[in-house]
Amino acid sequence: MEFLALVDISYLLLIFFGVALGIVFGAIPGMTATMALAVCLPLTYSFDLNHSLAFLLALYVGGISGGLVPAILLNIPGTPSSICTTFDGYPMARNGEGERALKIGVVSSLFGGLFSLAILYLFAPLLSDIAIKFSYIEKFLIIFFALTVIASLCQSMLVGIFSGVLGILLSLVGVYDTVKGGNGDIRLITPALEDMLYSGFSLLPVLIGLFGVGAILADAEQGVKEETEGAKLDLLSGRKFDLSAFRGSAVNLVRSSFIGTFVGMLPGVGGSAASVLAYTQEKNFSRDSSMMGKGAPQGVIASESANNGLTGGALIPLLSLGIPGDSTTAILIGAFTLQGVQVGPLFIGENVETWNMMVLSMFIANIVMFVVMFFAIKYIAKVVTVPKYLLYPIIIMMCVSGAYAINYGIMFDVWSLLLFGLFGYIGGKLGLEITPFIIGFILGSSAEIYFVKSLESFGTMTIFFTKSPIALFLWLLIGMSVAFSIYSNKRSKSKTA
Amino acid sequence: MENQSSSPFSIVIDFDTSHLFFPTLILWLLGLLGLAILIQKGPAFYRAVASGEKKLRFFEPDADKVRLFGTLGLMVVYFIGMDYVGRLFPNMGYGFWLVSIPFLFGLSCLYAHELDKRKLLYITLNALVAPTFAWFVLSELFNVTLP
Repeated sequence: MEFLALVDISYLLLIFFGVALGIVFGAIPGMTATMALAVCLPLTYSFDLNHSLAFLLALYVGGISGGLVPAILLNIPGTPSSICTTFDGYPMARNGEGERALKIGVVSSLFGGLFSLAILYLFAPLLSDIAIKFSYIEKFLIIFFALTVIASLCQSMLVGIFSGVLGILLSLVGVYDTVKGGNGDIRLITPALEDMLYSGFSLLPVLIGLFGVGAILADAEQGVKEETEGAKLDLLSGRKFDLSAFRGSAVNLVRSSFIGTFVGMLPGVGGSAASVLAYTQEKNFSRDSSMMGKGAPQGVIASESANNGLTGGALIPLLSLGIPGDSTTAILIGAFTLQGVQVGPLFIGENVETWNMMVLSMFIANIVMFVVMFFAIKYIAKVVTVPKYLLYPIIIMMCVSGAYAINYGIMFDVWSLLLFGLFGYIGGKLGLEITPFIIGFILGSSAEIYFVKSLESFGTMTIFFTKSPIALFLWLLIGMSVAFSIYSNKRSKSKTA
Repeated sequence: MENQSSSPFSIVIDFDTSHLFFPTLILWLLGLLGLAILIQKGPAFYRAVASGEKKLRFFEPDADKVRLFGTLGLMVVYFIGMDYVGRLFPNMGYGFWLVSIPFLFGLSCLYAHELDKRKLLYITLNALVAPTFAWFVLSELFNVTLP
């Protein structure tokens, strides 16, 4: 409990501020928790690791939770993970039960967040202990597995893999670092660009460009519609909130939180999948699902406990394997990189204090989120009416400050921001999948080291199959994710036929 | 780059050219995946285009090109201007601060629908306050490097 000595007023204020800001981001349609982290990362440059993570994790919790506000009040999910909250939340709001629906969502979010935190605290160290024993071969196969899982959940697995491999290719630009065992030579760039791209593209401009600038460009093409104008927020004319809304929903709460946590653990799958899966499970297994889709509290409970369950789950692969569970935790890697800390199997063992502080931050952030949203929901609801014409320019400005500061003042990083913003916008139109791309970009250089060093050591490709039972088990998982993709593809084709 | 030894699965990687080994593999893989996508989706796409079901166009008919290209244009001017002004006042963050004000004003005006006096007032206040606040917090309080 020595880490509690590190809790000071600035730490608590950062969590409060982070949660509040995250809720605002989540509550504005089109803005996501990922964008909140990307935009606010530069604020953490001068913090130490614990304060920086406390702020970013609070943003994460707030950002995911805030998405329920427009989902219920405007029928627009504030974040993709609130997609199923619209199904029942909006009909409730139309019946004048807006405040009740919001508070049901807030309580469910708290339960899901704390449930997943408990799982994170119990399982991440266990998984780390196992992962410490992994050689380069198993580590490479885990990255391979992560990419196939992400790709298998894309609309087309081939496009998903293509996007991931493209991300890997771009991560290889620049020097083959001698620190990592490379030969120090440069590849994939012309001599004219060697100065600028010697160390390759920086992670942060790529992330901010894709998720911040790319999203704004896409919305600019749609005309930056002011869809929130004229929305009438009817919060209180119907039934008031009380805990009886949760009667008979204990199984739903636990099951949905578990689904959210489990989905979070799968790299790159994302909150929308958690929300949809939990919602459909409730529809399939509840005693009475006849009201679902027409304003049933159980639908809001399923969706919101699942998407907040994601928060702890997504941190499990990040902290135990060094693989981000979703695009938001991918940005957390940026925070670790800034502080010179490498996440992976050794992280928890070597940084016990930071690990405990992270768990504490998540716990406090969930409590703060609950208090802020439960008691100030009427005021937070007004956030959905803040016009984008004021917000988007601020976001671009913050993106620029973050990109410029990442390497202590390199203008090329700002241009990279625009380059990857355009890439995200054009790629999205051409059907490229951004999540596999970004996971490929983050893990690409590690994948190279693990792959090449394994071959240099053993001299044969067969070693990837014969090294250990774990390697075989990973191949089995890879095969299963590919088979799942083929199966679900065929099923959706037969449904549409 | 690499020599095949006795077994078909054996690989020896030459250290001098090892920086090209993985990128070459990835490029080949990308090419093969691109080809597979073409084979899988190409014929159906071609039929859809030939029958008129799909159109070969990048922008939808109702795309707002003014706001899209306006955003891109303003960003390019913003970056160039910020760099230029930043060089005039090195290590002060003035490039960021002073150029962000017209950028925010311009972009907000571009995005706003039915611009009236009230909106213009909000936009002006936002353009003045937000960059000043961001510059003060980042550069003065947290010593973050700004152009």
